[in-house]
Amino acid sequence: MASIELVCPAGSPAMLRAAIEAGADSVYCGLRDETNARNFPGLNFSPQELKDAADWAHGRGAKVLVAINTFARVGAVDIWRASVDAAARAGADAVIVADLGILAYARDAHPDLRLHLSVQAAAGSVDSIDYYAKTYGVRRVVLPRVLSAPEIAALNRQISVETEAFVFGGLCVMAEGRCALSSYATGRSPNLSGVCSPPEAVAFEDHQGQLTSRLAGFTLDRFEAGEAAGYPTLCKGRFQAGGEASYLFEEPTSLNAMELLADLAKAGVTAVKIEGRQRGKAYVARVAAAFRAALDALDRGESTQPYERLLSSLAEGGRETAGAYRKTWR
Amino acid sequence: MALRGPVEHLLTAGLRRAARRRPEIFDRLDGFQDALFVLAPDDWPVVFELRPCAGRGVVRVVRATAPMAGTARIRGPLTALLGLFDGSIDADAAFFSRSIRVEGDVQAVMALHNALEAAELTVADLLGLPAPASGVANASLSMLLRGLAARDARASA
Repeated sequence: MASIELVCPAGSPAMLRAAIEAGADSVYCGLRDETNARNFPGLNFSPQELKDAADWAHGRGAKVLVAINTFARVGAVDIWRASVDAAARAGADAVIVADLGILAYARDAHPDLRLHLSVQAAAGSVDSIDYYAKTYGVRRVVLPRVLSAPEIAALNRQISVETEAFVFGGLCVMAEGRCALSSYATGRSPNLSGVCSPPEAVAFEDHQGQLTSRLAGFTLDRFEAGEAAGYPTLCKGRFQAGGEASYLFEEPTSLNAMELLADLAKAGVTAVKIEGRQRGKAYVARVAAAFRAALDALDRGESTQPYERLLSSLAEGGRETAGAYRKTWR
Repeated sequence: MALRGPVEHLLTAGLRRAARRRPEIFDRLDGFQDALFVLAPDDWPVVFELRPCAGRGVVRVVRATAPMAGTARIRGPLTALLGLFDGSIDADAAFFSRSIRVEGDVQAVMALHNALEAAELTVADLLGLPAPASGVANASLSMLLRGLAARDARASA
């Protein structure tokens, strides 16, 4: 069984270096514009920073994957095409794309540039993956976070391209690439603008230790003193329904599928992915090191158990889940 | 507040030195170059007002009891604030655990955080010390500021 590739996030050149020094085989990053799904102020790379970072990474045997994974806006497609061109010029090892038009552009304009299909494309069936592979030459599919480990194994037996699975970090409850909650409240969405809960629409109010989070005037949650908080997104809001306050869409909980690495390896997954380009150096250094140790243990035929609880303090809401990989609700 | 002047001078000089050495850091602040960030260590009698302004940046020390001013206020233990400055702690985890609290313009705070994350600055840089002294400098600055604040609080009591 081949070693699994560890793909880690990088929101800045400093974070990219921290990820690789901690054991990442590949890093994924984006340019400083709306063409990637982490379009936050101060985050991401200029074209020159991307080039310098790719040179640095290649010098250490690591790969750089560039996320151009939002859906192109009508009348502004050139911005997305320019990002593909910048990634190719920088020597990126692959671009991670969701939009059909941008996939077609990358295929035609840069035939040697490797194409990965973003999780935003939500390709989770044999037919859809075959279509992307045959039509656009996609070589790897980042799987939507709705499949169980046995489903991934069944999928991998029937497709001809690599698969990459998220194993750590934030979770979205929606079918990937189809969320309109942020757009409804703020006019900006992760799938089109690259920002979920844009920070200009977020407000926090701390009153005698009680924290209230709001998005564009909507109250999302109120945390008592000492209660672990979550991201200020509508999907993780706590609302009253039927006289009871509860998380109607999704609890503020982080994915940690380290205990399922062996199952994912048996399922034929080529790479595992860490979420969190917005998190920073300290986060990626800890997560990359823990997963590096776990994957190396797996390669030696040892258990990953010693590493499985090392990252709990990084979890949103202070809680972790194996998510859909174990569909315990079935 | 008798020692406010030297502390302000030290921190302002450090901020401007960082701007001279690493101007690209300030590009990441985009439209928040002139924003006023208030850094408020828990249980301190003073807070730090930071206005980046590229090479014309200023740090001021004001009483914690002064009316809330500025674009955004970041509160938390001094060690956490220093950890955010040099990127040695994960800001989101600090937020989840309620160690760090944010008020005001969240977009400005995010721009500042991401700029600092990319900057790889240390407290040693702020003080003009060589990078290997970072660990010692973090601890020393923390002790220095804590001591000055306590002394000022006694003097003004």
